[in-house]
Formats: sequence, structure tokens, C-alpha cells
Amino acid sequence: MRTFVLRRLLEAVPVLFGVSALTFLLLQLAPGNFLDAFLENPSVSQAQLAQMSRNFGLDRPWYVQYALYVKNVVLHLDFGQSFSYHQPVFTVLRRGMGNTLLLALAGACVTWGLALPFGLLAAARRGTWVDRTLSLGSFALLSLPEVLSGLLLLLFAWRTGWFPIGGMHDLDHDRMAFVPRVLDTLHHLVLPALVVGLVPLASRMRQMRASVLDVLRLDWVTTARAKGLPERDVLVRHVLPNALNPLITLFGFTLGSLLSGSFVAETVFAWPGLGSLTLEAIQRQDQYLVMGAVLMASALLVAGNLVADLLLALADPRVRHD
Amino acid sequence: MVRGAREVLMRVRPKFDSRICAAALLLVLAGCGGAKVARRVDVHPLPPDTLTMRMHEPGEYGGRFVVGATASPKHFNPIMASERPTNDVCNLLYTSLTDVDYGTLEDTPLFAKSWEWSADACTLTFHLRRGACFSDGHPMSSTDVQFSFDVAMDDSLGTSMSEGLSITDPRTGERARFAYSAPDSYTFRVVTVRPYAMLLSATSTVRILPRHVLERVWRAGGFASAYGVDTPPESLVTSGPWVLREFRADEKVVLGPNPWWFGVDARGRRLPYLDELVFVLAKDQDVAALKFQAGELDGLDNVRPEDYAAYAAGQAKGRYTLYDGGPSFNTSFLWFNLNPAPEGSANHRAGEPMVGAVKYAWFSQRDFRRAVSKAIDREALIRGPFRGEGVKNWSTMSPGNKRWYDPAITGLDFDPEGAKALLAGLGWKDTNGDGFLEDRDGRTIAFTMHTNSDNTMRKEMLTLVRDDLAKVGLRVDAAPLEFNTLTSHMRGDLDYDAILLGQGSAVPAEPGMGQNTWRSSGLLHYWHIRQEKPATPEEARVDALMDRIVYTTDEAARKAAWRELMGIVNDQCWIVWLPTQIIRLPVRSRFGNVQPSPMPHRILWNVDRIFVKPGRG
Repeated sequence: MRTFVLRRLLEAVPVLFGVSALTFLLLQLAPGNFLDAFLENPSVSQAQLAQMSRNFGLDRPWYVQYALYVKNVVLHLDFGQSFSYHQPVFTVLRRGMGNTLLLALAGACVTWGLALPFGLLAAARRGTWVDRTLSLGSFALLSLPEVLSGLLLLLFAWRTGWFPIGGMHDLDHDRMAFVPRVLDTLHHLVLPALVVGLVPLASRMRQMRASVLDVLRLDWVTTARAKGLPERDVLVRHVLPNALNPLITLFGFTLGSLLSGSFVAETVFAWPGLGSLTLEAIQRQDQYLVMGAVLMASALLVAGNLVADLLLALADPRVRHD
Repeated sequence: MVRGAREVLMRVRPKFDSRICAAALLLVLAGCGGAKVARRVDVHPLPPDTLTMRMHEPGEYGGRFVVGATASPKHFNPIMASERPTNDVCNLLYTSLTDVDYGTLEDTPLFAKSWEWSADACTLTFHLRRGACFSDGHPMSSTDVQFSFDVAMDDSLGTSMSEGLSITDPRTGERARFAYSAPDSYTFRVVTVRPYAMLLSATSTVRILPRHVLERVWRAGGFASAYGVDTPPESLVTSGPWVLREFRADEKVVLGPNPWWFGVDARGRRLPYLDELVFVLAKDQDVAALKFQAGELDGLDNVRPEDYAAYAAGQAKGRYTLYDGGPSFNTSFLWFNLNPAPEGSANHRAGEPMVGAVKYAWFSQRDFRRAVSKAIDREALIRGPFRGEGVKNWSTMSPGNKRWYDPAITGLDFDPEGAKALLAGLGWKDTNGDGFLEDRDGRTIAFTMHTNSDNTMRKEMLTLVRDDLAKVGLRVDAAPLEFNTLTSHMRGDLDYDAILLGQGSAVPAEPGMGQNTWRSSGLLHYWHIRQEKPATPEEARVDALMDRIVYTTDEAARKAAWRELMGIVNDQCWIVWLPTQIIRLPVRSRFGNVQPSPMPHRILWNVDRIFVKPGRG
């Protein structure tokens, strides 16, 4: 088991290296650079632009910039400075990380909390109006763009006054006692978590449904039914545990996309996470900040896959590695 | 907050999930308890030299003003600040020698209580305010000003202001830094190699920093990252009317009054009036609008003209006033590419016109450009994209600019018959009857015009301009492009026919700040950038006039030079002007002394004087 984990971690190194190279290349291919934002400002002169370009190292050819970047990362674990924050990249990224994970986990709870029971229900009632309604509903949610569903929910919040219009904390959050503070954060979390969670719901539900249907076809299910077990027990005690295996792998994969899955919702709801930070960095071409964010997301993806494999090993003795 | 609580309670129906109800109730109650702030008592004695701020009416202490911000500040270091959100906050935290009154655009004192020019107009002497203190109570003196200038001019930092603190020496042609000295604790002197009109405003870009805190950091080489976002708010020592109370990255910035600030109202009471000024992050304009409607924000600093009518209608219900900020300082215009290919250009020999010989032959005709200006129905543009909320504009000093707008500067306005006559005069006729003109060699006059695709109003303008030009027989392909692609064409590969774009206002909003645009060597000399020497006699004249605007301190002479300069530009029609927008901004009616300006930050420039009207809190 240990060698397996070790091997996977070692394999991650070239993956991350490749990701960094590709990201850097894409950033170079995108038109313009960080300094273009100053162009509409008539009081910034050419000499100043040249000076800033030198300070940021943007006057060097891209492969020299990249080589220096890799050197600093490997030798000093220095991931560079953000151009706009004048701070090391991870100092900037660190603060958004927790918030993004919170939103992503809440979103995952929405997705899985709905996908598992609904998928089971759809499979059990296969072909009936229940099945069809659930499919239709989940696909309708899937086809709704996140920006639109986000704005619609904000409109809902405004009309009803039940929820705040975006943000993560009330203005007086820091003056509250502990319990109201937690409730305040949860209150702000509901709508963005719905936006994040409802998008992947359709596919998770379909997968759950298919997985349950596969199991339902097996002989021992017939046996259980023939024994006279109530259908409810057959489903919950026998079918469900066996249908979960493929979904555990899937859950691991979704861990990897946690960081990237909430970009849109974060922007619409002014959620102070990594997504909006990264998006702004991309728009401003703050290149090392983008690199840092992408590397972090990739590291999480690798870790997610590893966790998925380990989870599966724990859940199913047949696939235990050694 | 109390009103918010009532609204929430009234709206929650019994059927709705009781847990969320309970949560909302708890929150609101908790909020009410927390928001109560003890009545402020001014503990520190006022300095001998207070500064009485201009305002409509004296106000009362207390209250909170909440505005939206499109991005979080990147740090709280005013010398390193290079973008709006950071500047907006830093400008409130740190004072400077002088300021501009956004209402009148006149220079006003700040830390300098007065200033005087030497007879040769090369030396500016500031007399500093006695008894002024930083937010930690440490006295402010000329050594702090000197330190701030040292840092601002530090080459290794590459600050965005260092360039503005130098001028071209006429003897050497090199950039020469301002010399500066502090002869005594309350005198600061700046010397230039030649008279420089914008010396006062240039020195006011340097925000005053506490030497007793930051000098060590600077000497140790850590200044660029000093006062970063992880600085504990209470440790930030400021010189302006505000201090930093709270900061949550990508969420909010809370400012509170600086208990040592030297600004007072007419009754001698220390400013600012408000207990808290809060910037809440609302990246998306629609979200900010919703937050305003829901009462989470007290004012908006950016509203689309198409929404003005809706805001005007909702004033009574939403308890806000839609203020008229006057015509924007941001301008819109279009131009044709007259750039020659630079050395090493991909598809062109150096010096060849970038648009090719045929189009260059069209675009370089003054009468063609004049015809384009005459073909554009600006009133239709105002009715359309501007929703009636625009004015015609013929220079970078728009009618909103109280100090520099010159009604004598005008351009060629809508006259379709005149446009057709000018085009006919070039020998262009519609020979094949397709409705578009052909030149003498039978080539249809057709070209592409770009604008940036993220700006809806510019895209709408482009469509109307295309239709207007079609009416006089010019075929335009309207092609919006992503902003970065557009700018890389504009100053990088120079590969385009025509562009419709705009320019933001410089601070200070005065003609001398337009050197990069009007000088033939400028990077923003759109139609033909970075000329080594002026390509036309008219541009040589413009360069000379720009010298007069920049290197004369007599305001009447400067205004005359500006009028002549714009006269040449508009006669040549290098730039074809489009209308400019009227600014309207909603702010809750309970706040007094609100006076939005067209310059950023539009509602916060006098926020030290904004107060909550008694009985309306």
C-alpha cells in the first residue's frame, strides 16, 4: 500500500511539470500582458511601461522567464510574486483556499445528497412518471448556465429578502458571537452552494441510476426478492452498498475539480474564494498568480484521484492494491 | 439594520423553513446588537493649523456608508498602487500636499496650508500645517514628505508615479528629476529645471507616509511588499482622514475616522463625520445594483444610462436620490490607422502604410476623415446608445470639466450632404450602383472598424456609426474584438483599419496630462504612434503647442494653446469625436453633503464630509 501511494506521488511530479509548462505557454499565447491594463491610462508613459516590464521580467523572452520560474520553484520553492499584489503567490492564494473548499464541499453535499436518493428512486421506479420527472428536472438544471441560475437566485433573494445578495459574511459578522457567526456564514452559503451543486446533479443522478439498475439485474437480487424480503430492504440493505462502488471513484474525481467547479458561482455571488481570484488574475494576466492557482488545482486533482483509489480499495476488497 | 430586521420578519412566511427563519432572526438580532456604536467623542486636541473643508452644510457624527467595489485592494501601499480599487482606498488613507476640489477642479490645500511659486516659476515652496499628526499621534513634518518623495522616486521600485516626478530637460533632452528639499520642519521645496505647469499636481500624487514606521523597511529593501494585505489593520499608520479598521480580502474594507486628522467643518468640528466607511466587494455591476436595491449598499458609483429611467422612478420607494454628476470626463472617439509599418514587421516593408497603399490613400485624405465626422448623427447616438443621457463632445476636456472645457472648441457635426459633397470632391462615385462609393480606380470604399466587445455601449455606437457611414456610401464592417486583442493591434502589430474606443480621464483632468496622446511621439497618439519626428507640419505644430501647455505656468496662455491645439486636431479630423455620457448616480437620501463628481471616485471624493441627516439614521 505504501509503495503504491509513494509511486503515485512520484508520478505526480512530471504531471505538475507538464501542467506548469502548458499553462505558461498558454499565457504567452494569449494576446497582451499585465501591462496592457495601463494602456487606457493616458498618464502612464512609455518609459514607465519599460521600467515596469523590466521589474516584472516581462522584457525577457518567454522561455527565459519559464526557465527562471522552474529554477526558483525547484531550488527555493519560490513560486514567484503576484504583479498586482507585490506578494508571494501563495500568500495571496492561501486566503481564498479555505473559502473555496467550504463552498465546494457544500456544493458537493447538495449534489450527492440529492443524487444518491433520487438516483435510487429513479432506478427503483424505472420508466414511471417519477423516473421521467427526475430526469427532466435534473437535465433542465444541467442546461441552465451557472451565471443565469446564479443571477436568478440573487433576484429571488432580493424579491423575498430571505437571503443576502452575495458575499460570505454580514458586515457585522466580526462583532457577532460564535453561533450567530456560523449561522451567518451558512445563511450566505445556501444560494451559491445550490448553484455549484445543481450543475453536476444530473450526471451524478444518471450514474447512480445506471449503477443501481446494473445491480438490480443480478441474480442475488432475485434471490433476495424470492426470499420474500420487502423491496425497501432489498434496495437499501443489498442494492445500495453494491451500487456505490463506481460512485466512490467518481467522488474522488470530483474532489479534483472542487477548486475549479465554483469559479462562476464565486464571481456572481462575490464569494471570496480562489475562483474569483484566479479569474481576475487571468483577466489581468498576472502570470505567476495564474500559474500558482493552476498548479494548486492540479495538485488537488492528483490528490483527489489518489484518494478515490484509496477509498475504493477500502470499500471493495476485490480491488485492494498491494 | 433595524429596518432590515423588520423587513425580514414581515416577509418570512410561516410556511417557509423554520430553521432558516430562525437563522435569519438570530443574525438580524446579533447584527442589531453589534452595530450599535457609542457616540463619538473627539479626544485629541485639534492642531493649531486646522483645515476647514468646503461643504454644503455642517453635519453630525455617526453612521455608516457602504459602497460597492469591483475588486479588492491589492495592498495598502499608496506608492506602489497602480489600479483603481487600491487607489480608491489609499487615497482616503493617506493625505498629500495639495488636492483638487472635484467640484470646481481648483487646487486646494491639504497638508500644505499654502504654497508659492518663485519668480522664475521653477521653484514651488510649500508651507506645511503645524500640529498635524499621523494616525498613531506621531507628528507629521517635512521629513515625512521628503521620505515619501525619496520612496516615490526610488528606481528599484518602478512606481507608477516616478515618471510624473520628472520633466524633459531642454538642454540635454534627458528626463530630469524634480529636486526637493526640506529647509525646515514646516517648509518643503520642489525645484524643476524649467517652468512646469503641472508641478503642483505632480507633487500631489505623492501620498505622505510615516517615515518613523517605514524608513527601516525601505532601507532593508522590503518597501514594495510593505503594507500588504496581510498587515494587521491597527498597525497601519495613515496620514489621511481615515484609518483601516478591518480588512477581509475579496470581501470588504472597513475604514474609520483618523482621530488625529486636521480637517474640520465650519464649526471647527473634526472630520470625517461617519463612524465607518465600508467597501463591499461586488464584482458584477448587476449584483451591485441588486445589493443597492436590497439596501445592502448606500450608493452606486457606476450606473448604465439605460438604467437611469428605472432609478429615477424608484427614488421615493428606495429612499434614494439620483444625483446628476454632469458630463463624464471619459471620452469616445474613432480614428483611422495611418501608421507606417515598423522595422521587422511581418507582412510589410518598414515604412509602408500598415493598411496598404489603397486604404492609406483614402484614410490619409483630410476630406475623407472630415466626411466621416460629418456623416455621424451624434444626436441619434445620444438618443440611442446613450438613452438621451449624453452630450456632444469635441476634445478630451469634456463639457463636464469645469476648469478646462472650452465651448469654442468644436468639430464637424452631422451634415450628410456636406459629407457626400466632400467625398464627391475626392472623385469617388458609386459606379456600379450598389449604394457604396468607388474610388477613381473603381475600388469600393470598404474597411473594418473594431471596438472592444466587452463594452455594450461602444458596440451599439459602432453599429450606428456603420449605418451612418453606409448612408453616405462608405462600407464598414463592424467587428468587435476582445480588449486585449484590440490593444495588441492598436500598439503592437498595428494591424487594423479603424478603431472606435474611448479614453479615461487622467488625474488631474487637464490638457497637460495628454502628452502621450497628442505628442507625435506618444504611445497613445492613436492614428500614428511613436513618431520619431512629426510626420506632418500640423503634428509638429501640435508638439510645439503641447510644449507651451506643459512648460508655461500662465493659465491664460495655456488655455489659448489648448484651443489652438484642438483646433488643429479637429480641423484634421485625426480623431472623430463621439458623444460623451452624462453621469447619474443613486445615493440614499439620508446622507447629506453628497456631491457626485464625474471623476473617480465619484461619490467618495468628499466622503469625509458626508453625514447621516439627523433623525434619518
